[in-house]
Amino acid sequence: MGLAVKDRLRAKLKGGDTTVRILLAHPMDTGRANNEQGELIPAHFIQDIRCWRNKEEILTIKCGTATSRNPYFSFVLAGGASGDTIMIRWVDNLGAKGKVETKVQ
Amino acid sequence: MANNTTNIQRRNVLKKGISVSTLALIATSGLLLPRILLAHWPTEAFTAETMEDALLALLGEAEVVDSSVVKFKVGSPPSYAVNGASVPIEIHSDLANIERVAIVVEKNPFPLAMSLDFTSAIKLPFKTMIKIAEDSNVIAVIRADGKLYKTTRFVEVDIGGCA
Repeated sequence: MGLAVKDRLRAKLKGGDTTVRILLAHPMDTGRANNEQGELIPAHFIQDIRCWRNKEEILTIKCGTATSRNPYFSFVLAGGASGDTIMIRWVDNLGAKGKVETKVQ
Repeated sequence: MANNTTNIQRRNVLKKGISVSTLALIATSGLLLPRILLAHWPTEAFTAETMEDALLALLGEAEVVDSSVVKFKVGSPPSYAVNGASVPIEIHSDLANIERVAIVVEKNPFPLAMSLDFTSAIKLPFKTMIKIAEDSNVIAVIRADGKLYKTTRFVEVDIGGCA
């Protein structure tokens, strides 16, 4: 297991644009690997990640099993102001959900 | 003494019973919403076993332009990765009106790694980490203004990431 136990979200204003960094805590099991006992670990991975800025949906990420464990994403949003709300929601293939929210700094 | 252990056992059984029932509750309540969301997860594209099928299912048929407009880096240092389980990847482009970006690893069991739906608020570069099973071509396809732009990079992987 990685060190990250909590989903993290950072948004920073840089040169007029907002840089968003996401680090989710998820095993992202592909359904191909074995555990120590030699049993197959069933597939368990994030399928859908959505991102909102101030209630406006701006990005959808669809993941297959080839996304690394504890998925990391970073991207830039045009414009933005300090205090904007950035929200992330994710859903995995077993129906588990997560939500993170932060303010632009 | 014997009485004591049975009591503890009883407690454990009770505890387990509670956690199982609560888990079941959470599972059922959680299942309703994601079903709606997941309706949009393109299963066909993500379970396609060849690159062509995956791209066809995800992006539809369109003219593909092999283009250097898509700037794209895989691995660090570029084109090389020690650990295939987390290969950094960075996509950059000056194209306008980008609708969708697909990242495909040719030799992975399921080639399609990720699909990104952009809106006009998103600016590149987009960075993330993917798994790469073995030395393979990694392809980024961008759909912008109804056209597909494609760039290929070859990556060498030391330890394959079980993808």
